[in-house]
Amino acid sequence: MIELHNVEKTYHSKSGDIDALHKTNLTINAGEIFGVIGLSGAGKSTLIRCINMLEVPTGGQVIVDGQDLTAMSEAELRKARQNIGMIFQHFNLLASRTVYDNIAFPLEIQGLSKDEIRKKVEPLLELVGLVDRRDHYPSQLSGGQKQRVGIARALASSPKVLLCDEATSALDPQTTKSILDLLKDINKRMNLTIVMITHQMQVVKEICDRVAVIENGDIIEEGTMFDLFTNPKTPTTKDFIKSINNVELPAILKDVPLSKEYIEGGKLLIRLSFIGASAGDPLISSLVKKFDVDVNILYGNIDSIKDTPYGTLLVEISGVRTSIKAALTYLHERNLRMEVMGYVS
Amino acid sequence: MSPEIINLLIKSFVETCYMVAASTIISTLIGLPLGVILTVTRKGHILENTPVNAILGAVVNATRSTPFIILMVAIIPLTRMIVGSSIGTTAAIVPLTISAAPFIARIIESSLLEIDHGVIEAAQAMGASPLQIINKVLLPEALHSIVLGVTLAIISLIGYSAMAGALGGGGLGDLAIRYGYQRFRVDIMIATVVVLIAQVQIVQSCGNYISKKLNKNKL
Repeated sequence: MIELHNVEKTYHSKSGDIDALHKTNLTINAGEIFGVIGLSGAGKSTLIRCINMLEVPTGGQVIVDGQDLTAMSEAELRKARQNIGMIFQHFNLLASRTVYDNIAFPLEIQGLSKDEIRKKVEPLLELVGLVDRRDHYPSQLSGGQKQRVGIARALASSPKVLLCDEATSALDPQTTKSILDLLKDINKRMNLTIVMITHQMQVVKEICDRVAVIENGDIIEEGTMFDLFTNPKTPTTKDFIKSINNVELPAILKDVPLSKEYIEGGKLLIRLSFIGASAGDPLISSLVKKFDVDVNILYGNIDSIKDTPYGTLLVEISGVRTSIKAALTYLHERNLRMEVMGYVS
Repeated sequence: MSPEIINLLIKSFVETCYMVAASTIISTLIGLPLGVILTVTRKGHILENTPVNAILGAVVNATRSTPFIILMVAIIPLTRMIVGSSIGTTAAIVPLTISAAPFIARIIESSLLEIDHGVIEAAQAMGASPLQIINKVLLPEALHSIVLGVTLAIISLIGYSAMAGALGGGGLGDLAIRYGYQRFRVDIMIATVVVLIAQVQIVQSCGNYISKKLNKNKL
């Protein structure tokens, strides 16, 4: 649905050029919720603004729904933008218009008649749950309600893509949750492709299918949520995951030397991560039954990514060399991710 | 006060109102597009155009820095060309308009610049053209602030109209100079000043009221 080919952006200022985005390649599939996470100044705002050409890239191609936006005239671009909705951190509603008129705004721009506008706006008011607020002005609404108006406004022209620019960063956790639920619902119901940039890992975990981590204008890591959670490769990603998930070793094991080689009478430390249906398997008890090993659970956690359960276990296995080896082979065959950390004596 | 004086006062008041109203309307018609152009051609705005902005800015500043009384005399040939005479109430409208238009342009510019860039960005993201952004975003969002600015311009025009009166334009200023000052009629002087003060008060109150009604930001 969205393809970025070698997209780059350089800002020229008196104090020199700033490369906000280096050659970036990204493919976002139709119907998925794609997250871009990064610290402030990492280039994520520039990236999302390049998708609808609010920022014109210095180089590269932006292809949305098969159309190359970078090759378009101003007028063609305006038409194409009607296919790309956008919501903002600070909502950016028109203060002089009521809720109804704010949602009607993009349709007015397209030159629809009053009747056609009403037919589109009323179901949207219903969808975002603001029917009783239709004649209120933005200043009379709470932050969450304002963002709902923003969402309804973005959906008014029936776009195929919705861009979310830090859409929940100005909201409290509870409101954030309800906005994310709404986005998830819309994604499913309308098969809408959603791109969201955020610095909140919690948000990404809640709704994203795939995620890219951006730092200093480069995408440093990209993958499914499960990949990123269970196998983060860069320190930045690890930091983000740490912010919501404990991946550290328990304190008592922190300073214990880990050996790659088998230690007679020692224990093997492994971290297991599993997702979805496999989270229900009686893994530990079958290990103990099938092989002559003892399994001790040091740490366990069950969480969810989007709506899929996801668990982490830190276990130590002890036994003779051959039975540990057999147990490891068994674990490898299971539908889970395993990290062998080493032996402790 | 004799009935003649009261009649004179009423006549002068009507003349002042006529001058101020006509010049407000015409100068707003000129100042509004000027203010819009000054805003949108700024750096980083929707129709960035540095040369246009610089030239227009210079013209506006030049007009604004000419004292009204000098401007009025300097453009007498122009006034004569437009109105056919350089004396009289209608003739006074020309210099009043020319001095107020750039003032209104600057007022409108500063009102439009108050609008959050995010709102403009949102409209762009929806595919709005620059003209639609001006008509449907900038002007409606700034309207309450523009009303206050135009109120300020009207009050300045009431002051300028008194000067125009001194040069044969009629109105309350003319009355105060000819009767109050030159004929030592203190009562007429006081009456004129009272009418002027009341006029300014009423204009300001109306402006405040309308602006407040239009402002949906603070409720």
